[in-house]
Amino acid sequence: MKFVAKIWPRLYIAIAIVFFVAPLLSMARFAFQRIPVISLGKDNLFKRWTIDGLLTTLRDPEFLHSLSVSLKVAFFTVLVLLFLMVPTTLWVHLSAPRWRGVVETVTILPYVVPPIALVVGVSGTYRSIAPWFLASNYSLVPFYAILAMPFTFRSLDVGIKALDLRTLVDAAKSLGASSLRVMWNVLLPNLRTSLINAAFLTITVVLGEFTIASLLLKRTLPMYMAQAQGSEPQGALGLGLLILVLTTILFTLVSIIRKKDSKSINVKNINVGMVP
Amino acid sequence: MALTGISSLGQSDPKGGSHTRTPLQRFQLPVKFKPIGLIPFFGFVGLFLVWPAISLFRLAIQPTKNSDISAMREAITGDYLDSFIYTIKLSLLTALLGVLLGSLLAASVLRIERPRWFRNFMTSFAGVAANLGGIPLAFAFIAALGTQGLITKMIDYFGINLSDAGFRISNFAGITIVYLYFQIPLMFLIMVPAFNGLRASWSEAAASLGAAPWQYWRYVGLPLLTPALLGGFLLLFSNAFSAYATAYALSSGGARLVPVQIRFFLQGNTITGKDNLGYALAAWMIIIMLITMTGYLFVRRRAEKWQQ
Repeated sequence: MKFVAKIWPRLYIAIAIVFFVAPLLSMARFAFQRIPVISLGKDNLFKRWTIDGLLTTLRDPEFLHSLSVSLKVAFFTVLVLLFLMVPTTLWVHLSAPRWRGVVETVTILPYVVPPIALVVGVSGTYRSIAPWFLASNYSLVPFYAILAMPFTFRSLDVGIKALDLRTLVDAAKSLGASSLRVMWNVLLPNLRTSLINAAFLTITVVLGEFTIASLLLKRTLPMYMAQAQGSEPQGALGLGLLILVLTTILFTLVSIIRKKDSKSINVKNINVGMVP
Repeated sequence: MALTGISSLGQSDPKGGSHTRTPLQRFQLPVKFKPIGLIPFFGFVGLFLVWPAISLFRLAIQPTKNSDISAMREAITGDYLDSFIYTIKLSLLTALLGVLLGSLLAASVLRIERPRWFRNFMTSFAGVAANLGGIPLAFAFIAALGTQGLITKMIDYFGINLSDAGFRISNFAGITIVYLYFQIPLMFLIMVPAFNGLRASWSEAAASLGAAPWQYWRYVGLPLLTPALLGGFLLLFSNAFSAYATAYALSSGGARLVPVQIRFFLQGNTITGKDNLGYALAAWMIIIMLITMTGYLFVRRRAEKWQQ
């Protein structure tokens, strides 16, 4: 009985790891080995491995175009989102705490309207009123900002709660700082972790988003991948794998930054607490 | 996939949103002007989320061509009703399996204390996998379990032919397996803090009062985990229900799922005059999501109340 209790979790975890790793390995094999599965056997298992497929795709001008579209959209989405959400969240905490519940509920609304429903509504509304807006690649920006809103608000909200916001603002203002200066020199540096966290998550969402881009016919990175699956499947899968690795690195960076900050945050609070 | 950030059931904020009043109150606006700073936020959400959603419903209640019932009514008849049932069944099944397998995984990983990095590693990996979706995930599974997949070939070696057995990566069983790839890690991330919330002293107290392990789980552990399990189920359901890209790429656009069907109407690949049906299907999706997310918020409120 004791033996079973000890071995069972390990066995279950091992099965789970196989389930999670096997598709990735299959993907890597398909992307980097030039042998169809049918003729794969013991004798040619280590033959004809190459990254040519991926290299061809990376040199494809269409790929470079889609990458630049995705990166531009990601940049502006982060910009719009932070310009909108940082003042809003600070305002909620400083001036209108009673509105916090309402704002939080509104930031969860994007979960109620799935991307596919949102894009159908968007094309039903804007296609007749402002076709020029939907024609631009940057029309994706506000909708991606909407998709990123829930975790951005949460990240900022948690960051602000960890600060003694009222004391910080009052202390800075009593020393003669203007509102803008308080924001730039006091609040933003203290919210660094929340800001980076939200920005990185937003970038991963934008780089992976397919639904809205595909229905608005925008040539973003995931759209390119979906189309390249037909013409250059090896390159498409290699690209998919590359994006997975990059996303994993972004996620790891986020969690490292978060951990570092959660250690230093207590110290900061003590210091701040002693100022007045 | 885009559910990052609200998967924190079982966590509560030690500090409330209240603020102490200070002598420097004169820097604040009078009460009635307080919400003024929220106008850009509400304006943005109104313009790019609420307005499209409302006009969706406005278009959905109009009848389609050659029909005298509203598209909303037509969207829950015949084939459309079938695809709703198909989608809901798939979402329910992947949510149930995700809850079960994800909780088991969390419990198993928490049992293992050494090596120390293992737990962190699994949490980081789950964070990546739970957010994995869309095109790359579909690619990975096509390469593994598609008709020309590596795993398909390996299973074939042992004498089981998946496609003869009726398995396709784009049919119900196939999509279920693929969705579990992000459902299990999401549930894992929800359950780890919930399991950590169970204090060792409670099971010791139960044991010292003579409770058997099953009695502890039946009367103490499970009731305490219920909000996390229920909330996780609702979150997983909505996660599967609103997923589009993965199913689209797996089936090359041919899946019977509601989100994939909507595409046909939007791109005019169908009988003209039926455009309103696309709006109606989307409207029904919003209604179902509204019910699910309301349930989720209710469960989370209860969980937070209990923890304070």
